Amino acid sequence: MKHNKKENVPRASGDNGVIVLENITKRFGPNLVLDNVSLVIEKGKTTVVIGPSGCGKTVLVKHLIVLLRPNSGEVYFKDRRIDNLSENELNKVRTQYGFLFQGGALFDSLSVAENIIFPIRQHWEITDWREVEELVKAKLAMVGLDGYQNQFPANLSGGQRKRVALARAIALNPEVVLYDEPTTGLDPIRSDVINELILKLQRELAVTSVVVTHDMTSAYKVADRIIMLHKGRIVADGDADHIRNHPHPIVQQFIHGQVDADDLAVLRMSGKISQAQFLPRDFE
Amino acid sequence: MIGSVGAKTIGGINNMGRFGRFVWQSAIASFRICTSPRAYALIWTQMHIIGVRSVPVVMITGAFVGMTLAVQTYGQLAAMGLEERLGVLINIAVVKELGPVLAAVMLAGRVGGALTAELGTMNVTEQIDAIRSMGTNPIRYLVAPRILACLLLTPILIIYGDLMGIVGGYFVSVIQFGINSQAYWTHSASGVELWDVTIGVAKGFFFGVAIAAISCYKGFTCKEGAQGVGRACTEAFVASFICILMLNFGIAVVCKAIYSTFWSLKTLV
Ligand SMILES: Nc1ncnc2c1ncn2[C@@H]1O[C@H](COP(=O)(O)OP(=O)(O)OP(=O)(O)O)[C@@H](O)[C@H]1O
Ligand SMILES: [Mg+2]
Repeated sequence: MKHNKKENVPRASGDNGVIVLENITKRFGPNLVLDNVSLVIEKGKTTVVIGPSGCGKTVLVKHLIVLLRPNSGEVYFKDRRIDNLSENELNKVRTQYGFLFQGGALFDSLSVAENIIFPIRQHWEITDWREVEELVKAKLAMVGLDGYQNQFPANLSGGQRKRVALARAIALNPEVVLYDEPTTGLDPIRSDVINELILKLQRELAVTSVVVTHDMTSAYKVADRIIMLHKGRIVADGDADHIRNHPHPIVQQFIHGQVDADDLAVLRMSGKISQAQFLPRDFE
Repeated sequence: MIGSVGAKTIGGINNMGRFGRFVWQSAIASFRICTSPRAYALIWTQMHIIGVRSVPVVMITGAFVGMTLAVQTYGQLAAMGLEERLGVLINIAVVKELGPVLAAVMLAGRVGGALTAELGTMNVTEQIDAIRSMGTNPIRYLVAPRILACLLLTPILIIYGDLMGIVGGYFVSVIQFGINSQAYWTHSASGVELWDVTIGVAKGFFFGVAIAAISCYKGFTCKEGAQGVGRACTEAFVASFICILMLNFGIAVVCKAIYSTFWSLKTLV
């Protein structure tokens, strides 16, 4: 990769990187969220990002598509530096991405079908509306929501919204799909359907995926590689077995869902939850 | 103390700079979508939302302004025996100043508030980021149609307001105070020039753009949460209101200069 001037840049395997983050640092005011993070997202592989809530996973994936710009460091997409492009130039690059927002971010003034048509309409000349309808039907069927075309997001459950958002993210058949917690809020069976969908997209369309998740079952199932983020740094990086047997206590704690001994102490110390704390006058 | 004043000043200048950039980008986007027929549907939808539902409030405002002016000024003119000239006074005031300004203020409240709330909510629920993530410029998709709709509709709404103001003034003058209807109209027609009407309506273009640009900007930069959206709406209204008054003053000064230049030329010839 011709941009890699510095030698210490981690490279997973030769020139397979579709998206490369180099020494990304991101601050929000005094809050340091990403601390010199370097990462190569490999083509056609599924990279899973895990880590405790608030550790900067969403911020990290937003940098991959430059929805957020780093304070320092560089972002490359297919060997082209993109973190310094103007919004208009970026918009061309972004059409090759699909991004599933953690909160879905559906347009609430548009129906489910219109939400999915939105990106299609923005970038393709639509000549045959029946074709588009078929496409919408197919994408909704992939997430198990065919028949919901005319519903509005406000009338859907949280999990259904998430799935519509996923259908919208893959509407343009992107090469790279970034999933921010695709299975959070779904029942176990639906979660597995989404996992299968991620695998299917990878198998059949050679999609490069980045999946942010808390759900270790899902992580082990879809991951070619798992990255754990903690306090703005990557503390573990490897395949599922590597993570399972990782010596770092923070990693073990996270994947087994164990509460920190200190946190537990705080909970036990605080004693009984007294009703007096919730007197109605607190709400006046 | 001095430090905090300094920090506020810098913050204010930064804000102005960001607003300036936003306006510039919106202007470019607006020109661009004028040339793409695909966007006309968006503008049309916005015109429907912004325009049609604003007609009643603007008309009510206009009617009451005309009626109130008639009630307030009749006494003084009648004392001088000039009551037949009431029409000139009312109609000039309505067409040139009060009609446009009050209609714009109504719109700043009704339309501006709705725009800020809508875009602000879209902002905090990441819908604007979603537009960006799909490779579309949110300014072009969201802001430009709204600015164009306000630009085109505010003058039309002002005309509605003016008409109702004239009718309101007429009713009170002629029916309540018994002024001769024909005299009322003759004096009005001779006193109100086309120039006055043009200025009044032309103000609508400026007011419309100002309301839309400020409201959209406040929506785009709104802080998280219900409180953030609420605050953005309030700020948008106050800023639009002040901007309308300042623009009105600026336009008055400029028009005066233009008018007196041409008028003095006319007398020379
Ligand atoms: N736009 C923003 N402005 C200010 N601070 C932000 C912003 N976005 C994120 N942060 C901060 O960055 C940190 C990481 O946030 P992020 O959303 O990436 O967490 P996360 O790992 O995705 O957590 P979760 O699993 O709960 O979604 C948080 O401390 C948050 O306060
Ligand atoms: Mg997150």
